[in-house]
Amino acid sequence: MLRLTLKNLRANKVRFALTTLGVVLAVSFVVSAFVLGDGLRSTFGDVSEDITAGVDIEVRPANDFGDPVPLSAGLVAQVAAVDGVFDAVANIEAPDDAVRPIPADGDPITTQGPPQLAFAWSDNEAVSPFSLVAGQPPGIDEFSIDLDSAATHDFVIGETYDVITPSGRRQLTLSGTSTFGADNDTVGAAIMQMNVAQAGELFGIDGVTTIQVQVTDGADPAAVQAAIAAALPTLEVVDHDTVVRDTTEGFTGEIDIIGNILLGFGGISLFVSIFIIYNTFAIVLSQRTKELALLRTIGADPRQIRRSVIGEALFIGVLASGLGIVGGVGVAKGLEALFNATGGSLPESPTILATRTIVAALVIGIGVTLIAAVGPARRASTVPAIAAMRGTDEATNPGSRTRILSGTGLLTLGAITGTFGLTGAGSTAVTVALMATGAVSVFLGVTLLSPMTVGVITRVLGWPLARLSGVSGSMAQQNAARNPRRTATTAAALMIGLALVSTSLIVGQSIKSNFGTTLEQSATGDYYVTDQLVEVDFPLELPAQIASNTELFDAVAGFRYVETRVDGEIAEVVATDFTQLLPVMNADVREGDLGSSVDKPVLVAARHAEESGLVVGDMITTEFANGAAIDSTITGVFYDEALITSDFLYDESTFDAAGDITGHEWLAISLADGASLIEVDAVMASLSEQMPHADVETTNEFRDRVEGMIDDLLAIVNIMVALAVVIALIGIANTLALSVFERTRELGLVRAVGMTRRQLRRMVRFEAALVATFGAVLGVAVGLLFGWGVVHALPDDFASTMVIPVQSILTLVVVAALAGVVAAVLPARRAGRLNVLNAISH
Amino acid sequence: MGLGSCLAHEVVALNSVDVDFAKGQFTAIMGPSGSGKSTLMHCMAGLDRLDSGSSFVGDVDITAASEKELTLMRRDRLGFIFQAFNLVPTLSAIENITLPMDLAGTKPDKAWLEGVITTVGLAHRLKHRPNELSGGQQQRVAVARALASQPDIIFADEPTGNLDSTTGAEILTFMRHAVRELGQTIVMVTHDPVAASYSDRVVFLADGQITDQLFQPTPDTVLDHMRRLGN
Repeated sequence: MLRLTLKNLRANKVRFALTTLGVVLAVSFVVSAFVLGDGLRSTFGDVSEDITAGVDIEVRPANDFGDPVPLSAGLVAQVAAVDGVFDAVANIEAPDDAVRPIPADGDPITTQGPPQLAFAWSDNEAVSPFSLVAGQPPGIDEFSIDLDSAATHDFVIGETYDVITPSGRRQLTLSGTSTFGADNDTVGAAIMQMNVAQAGELFGIDGVTTIQVQVTDGADPAAVQAAIAAALPTLEVVDHDTVVRDTTEGFTGEIDIIGNILLGFGGISLFVSIFIIYNTFAIVLSQRTKELALLRTIGADPRQIRRSVIGEALFIGVLASGLGIVGGVGVAKGLEALFNATGGSLPESPTILATRTIVAALVIGIGVTLIAAVGPARRASTVPAIAAMRGTDEATNPGSRTRILSGTGLLTLGAITGTFGLTGAGSTAVTVALMATGAVSVFLGVTLLSPMTVGVITRVLGWPLARLSGVSGSMAQQNAARNPRRTATTAAALMIGLALVSTSLIVGQSIKSNFGTTLEQSATGDYYVTDQLVEVDFPLELPAQIASNTELFDAVAGFRYVETRVDGEIAEVVATDFTQLLPVMNADVREGDLGSSVDKPVLVAARHAEESGLVVGDMITTEFANGAAIDSTITGVFYDEALITSDFLYDESTFDAAGDITGHEWLAISLADGASLIEVDAVMASLSEQMPHADVETTNEFRDRVEGMIDDLLAIVNIMVALAVVIALIGIANTLALSVFERTRELGLVRAVGMTRRQLRRMVRFEAALVATFGAVLGVAVGLLFGWGVVHALPDDFASTMVIPVQSILTLVVVAALAGVVAAVLPARRAGRLNVLNAISH
Repeated sequence: MGLGSCLAHEVVALNSVDVDFAKGQFTAIMGPSGSGKSTLMHCMAGLDRLDSGSSFVGDVDITAASEKELTLMRRDRLGFIFQAFNLVPTLSAIENITLPMDLAGTKPDKAWLEGVITTVGLAHRLKHRPNELSGGQQQRVAVARALASQPDIIFADEPTGNLDSTTGAEILTFMRHAVRELGQTIVMVTHDPVAASYSDRVVFLADGQITDQLFQPTPDTVLDHMRRLGN
């Protein structure tokens, strides 16, 4: 039987190569995610080990919510005084991208992706990751920068440069250049150092970020760690290994995101491939019915036949896994090269093919192929010996009892798990798992039930074809409908792709449309100042500074976002100056007002008020990361949560009372009546000059940009789905080629009675277009369902009503149909070239 | 109609055959297996190419015709009845019958079509698919298709080869009726003397050459001839 297995594979080389492609792609993505991650983790592990080599213990703030609270500078001496501590170093880190030097060419430097980091310089070479290469360590009003950035941007030692910092635009002189760790593995980041006495003030940090400890030679680090912890019970004290691990994670965070995207690619290709492999096996085996029956007549038992088919699947699975591993390493290396070519600089990392990676590749590749082959193998083994005498009639029952029952069951399961996922109970991982299970069940359910709709749907879709091209069109429709199960399985891959695309289109469009409407209703300001670099806030005094020009400006409100604990529950809340709010925003405040006569007023969001039972007049206690706890009074309920996506909107008085110095995330500006637009433009231009990271926009520009961001997000989703569509098209081409082969005699007959080659080719292409459109229509239907579910699960402020981008979706369907035609080019050509005589006597 | 040699599968199947088929006549071509009778028919029907010589349908030289012209010729001017697998499984009986005209985008002559359908006795099974018809009914549909477009000539390749003798006799009767009453022209390849006896003229073929012919045959005279040729 083994010889038979190999013979069959050889006979269908091209077919199986195409089938395998999907699995190879899927395995490649998974392998590349692992290889990339392992390689970089290992490299960054080494880098982290290198740059933290001297840090035996680290003291950190221990607040469990909010941004890390800076440690008081006085603590450094306190730690240094603990027994066994050789040196305690103040580590001060600026927020990512907050410090940006401006080189001689005038534009602040930008690094695509990798951050711009700034630290306090330390003279303790064992603890500090930095080594001076040239010049001096930074003194007051000086800075040093890493060697590569200095070279790239032509920074010259001794020159003075403007530097954007959280404390404003400052003039600092470059004192020297440095390297980062032994090999200067900056991963493309720009790294600056400031004088330790000035760094806190420059970075807007009142104190130090962490304290790094070097223990005395011979002292037991664990004992010293315990001693420090005992001396400073409110702080977190961690050992060297934790520091290395956290540093590595800091490096590899983005790598993990890329890894997850690759795994997503792999998952989708894998799922879609199952259908294609299943179909290929099913068709090839049904064509071999006679041969199998002959084997049965001469005494092969069902188990032998099943084993032979499973053997074929196993062989394909092993081959695909092997190719996938090779491909995966290639993809990983390619991505690294791509990253480096686009401005990053990843360190040379080893290619680590971990046992786990190989096992995963084999399990996935072989597993998927076997799963797909089990059904056809079982069917093949039950071919009765008598079938050898009969023709291979392909008529199948579109809706057997088992099919209907399991299809309906899967749809129900999908609906239930999907609903649970969408209502968002539980962690993100649980939500994602529930939604994925729901989607997969729905896809399988639709695939099982859809054969029953093939006849009707292809008749409707085929009607215009039959009108347009007569008998080629109507025969194409008949061919598409003659084996509903085959058509349904072939179309399934495309159905899945289009379902995902149309879901994302619908959700995106719904959010965009909702955003446009609410912005019109609630955003009454004229200008918005937002921040390109999310982590950098605007100075606290900026709104007042702008508003001081009363001839031009009516009101300027800045919005501060802080994580706090409100009545015991951690919540991100927003604060603004209530006196400035009304001109720039209509938050639809009811059941009260902004409480101008109340001390420390706060508004509660309508939905949260209902959930929590809070009413106007209630007092809430807000705890801040710095330990302050402030009581505020609820003076009103706001109903429009479009711009304030938080449960509470505070007047700044509460934040000020807490001593919170978080800056403004964004500003809304309302112009004074009769303001000179030329002068306003001048002010806005100078704002942009002062803060190059600020985007100053009108309401419309602001909306366009946010909509553009939604589109960008959709584009990423769609690239992922494009892959599924390509695999789906391979599937259509494959099925069609098999069908053409299967119908050779019939094609010969129609050619003999006068069908021209052109008509024949058109018939095959139309059939492909019909199968593709069938898949597309089902996909759009499923997409509408998913889109509806997601839109309703989203908070009303994101998307209250479902908006269907009809034009885009119709375009999708048409593109799918055309893609089907493209997929049919080769099978159609092959059908057209059939020799009539040979075909008839086939 | 003059025919030269026809190469099929690199063996000379026909060698200097010169034969005419008159309009309104039912001709049978007979001969043992490998005598070239099928090849002769395929060459005349434009399904196979001649290496030399020429073949005419009416005054059209099909040896000079392009692939496309041949296809249109088969569609508009020729009819075919094969031994088996005559019908497109996805089309109903009536759709199979009108297929050549549907392919041409022309309307069938309604009265003629109805006459043909009545003659072959299919009026009540027109909506059925081939797999719902018996072997005899399928062949009747094939005959009806060949007749439906009133072609210049109908080629039948062992049309009763897969049928029992009663059903076969029915089909042959229809064919003879089509020639005698409806004025059609049929050329039939067969190796069955009984089938050949329905024709007006039998042409005997052996080793790619015409060896004899017989008019107004009966099964006995045909058998007689065959025996003589065998010796």
